[in-house]
Amino acid sequence: MSEAMKAADYKSELKPIWCPGCGDFGFLNAMLKAMEELQLQPENTALCSGIGCSSRLPGYIKAYSFNGIHGRVLPFATGVKMSRPETTVIAVGGDGDGYSIGAGHIGHAARKNIDITYVVLDNNIYGLTKGQASPTTPLGVKTKTTYYGNMGTTLNPVRMLIAYKASFVARTFSGDPKHVQKMLVEAIQHPGFSFIEVLSPCVTFRGSDQFKLIREKVVYLDDDRDLSDEVKAFDIANDEDKLTLGVIYKQIRPTYGDVIRHNVIERARAASNGTPDIDALLKQFQP
Amino acid sequence: MSKVLIKGNEAVIRGALLAGCKNFFGYPITPASEIAEAAAYYFPLLGGTFLQAESEIGAINMVYGAASYSTRCMTASSSPGISLKMEGISYLAGAELPCVIIDVMRGGPGLGNIAPEQSDYNQIVKGGGHGNYRLITLAPNSAQEMCDLTMLAFELSDKYRNPAVVLADGIIGQMMEPVEFPEPVQVIPERPWAVRGTRDSHNLVCSIQLDPDLLEKHNLHLQAKYAEMAKNEIRYEAIRCDDAEHIFIGYGIVSRILHSVVETLRAEGIKAGLFRPLTLFPFPTPQFDAFAKDPNIKSLFVCELSAGQMVDDVRLAVNGRKPVGLHTRMGGNVPTVKEIIEKFKESR
Ligand SMILES: Cc1ncc(C[n+]2csc(CCOP(=O)(O)OP(=O)(O)O)c2C)c(N)n1
Ligand code: SF4
Ligand SMILES: [Mg+2]
Repeated sequence: MSEAMKAADYKSELKPIWCPGCGDFGFLNAMLKAMEELQLQPENTALCSGIGCSSRLPGYIKAYSFNGIHGRVLPFATGVKMSRPETTVIAVGGDGDGYSIGAGHIGHAARKNIDITYVVLDNNIYGLTKGQASPTTPLGVKTKTTYYGNMGTTLNPVRMLIAYKASFVARTFSGDPKHVQKMLVEAIQHPGFSFIEVLSPCVTFRGSDQFKLIREKVVYLDDDRDLSDEVKAFDIANDEDKLTLGVIYKQIRPTYGDVIRHNVIERARAASNGTPDIDALLKQFQP
Repeated sequence: MSKVLIKGNEAVIRGALLAGCKNFFGYPITPASEIAEAAAYYFPLLGGTFLQAESEIGAINMVYGAASYSTRCMTASSSPGISLKMEGISYLAGAELPCVIIDVMRGGPGLGNIAPEQSDYNQIVKGGGHGNYRLITLAPNSAQEMCDLTMLAFELSDKYRNPAVVLADGIIGQMMEPVEFPEPVQVIPERPWAVRGTRDSHNLVCSIQLDPDLLEKHNLHLQAKYAEMAKNEIRYEAIRCDDAEHIFIGYGIVSRILHSVVETLRAEGIKAGLFRPLTLFPFPTPQFDAFAKDPNIKSLFVCELSAGQMVDDVRLAVNGRKPVGLHTRMGGNVPTVKEIIEKFKESR
């Protein structure tokens, strides 16, 4: 076995071009540490993203790094995982990428329990395109496309993901990289679709007081409860006066890959005695 | 009327409002975002609506809905976002619905970059979506024309019950220039075909025709409509073409550079002219046919910010009767006057 990897070893040759003070720096550092903690091997790790400031992340980390299409990171990551199940697949994107243009994909990756980790760096704004409203922009906030104040109710992503039956749902804050690291480690280890909502302020288009405002509302959860209690999880998500950080919901159930492997691939392999005969196999599987 | 110093992208929205547009549905993307941002500011003030859709697919389908219900409506985006709208655009064309789509082109393929290109020519002019449809396509080369051609797009779109596109490039969208705004349009044509609840009629807007004969008939009707556009709506600008021996052809920002090319060559005693299509569909094919037949004209020279897309239409029209030179730049690079003149001289 080669020498243990250190967090710094996972850094790529690209220097982040995020604005000074951007919340995404805290996440990047936590990610590097989580990779060290798990000793993820770059050649066995796929980092996928959509498009946005947050989606730049894969460029900064040594792994198989993909920068895909705005909003399509989940189908992309699903393709990677299905074709190479042994790979650790982590998908990253912003709130615009994931909750707006890409929102239609979330439910399907979640309900199929595709064994990937999906991280949304939520800054409540479109950062890369310079400050338009996103689904998590608070009501009434003035942005470049909500000149008269944001009019739509703010999306609660944690509640959405619980409703979609994501098998692991957590929230964390890039202002607390240790906590981010802990959530990442648990999420990556979770067998199935794991989701982390990371509060990660955009200092340029939402203001540098975001860190302070979030800190004032933060409450930490312990795991001292039945994590698979959906009602309790909804209660936590529904309490919007607080920003509860931690694992909010967790359920162990077979992943999509497990089901295919167990229900078909392994049975077929056993039945075919090493030399697959399609007609004989089809007979075996006829209802 | 006094002139206002304004960005091309903002001029689009002022033009749309003057044309009586009531609804804007969009999604941010550089270098087109200022159009949506200006719409967010102006539309509600004037009694219309602005809505930031969840995606470009959402936006074009909102346009589909609003157009079916008979209001002047529009959307705007840039190349990757336009690609995403293509399904909806094909349906709008099939259902014969008027609407205006602004495409401020950027570098591709894929995410490419946010610098100017003209590589959406094929997807807009040739039909990036499925089926035999055409889009009225107008090519502005100034902030003034961003306003004027947006207004014209609304007019033609209603006249032919067909989506119309203003095909601009990143520079024309971002550039600030003085614009003189025309008087607002007073009369917007009736739309008796639109879906509206009336007691004694039933209008259905759709693009489905299951019967092959009916679908063929519908397609023939569409083709006849496009032929009608080709007969009536070709627009172009020809500068110093009357006695020209060499015709330079380009649209959008390129036409402004070509104008300097023509003046520089004229100063050297070379009889150059500029031909700038304002309508890319309908394409000024008859004008190119005339160039091809003109014994004075020795060559044509096309310049584009693409691998060479419009040049195909020029070559089809010229049909081998005159040499057609080509200089292209891609990736967001814009050619200089000197560079074009060198390439032109090399090609001779
Ligand atoms: C199809 C398409 N539409 C629009 C864009 C422009 N675009 C790039 S990133 C982005 C949103 C960025 O916001 P978010 O996902 O929240 O990421 P952030 O920059 O805030 O991290 C948009 C609209 C695009 N690249 N592709
Ligand atoms: S614009 Fe906002 S999200 Fe993007 S790098 Fe700057 S601070 Fe971060
Ligand atoms: Mg964001």
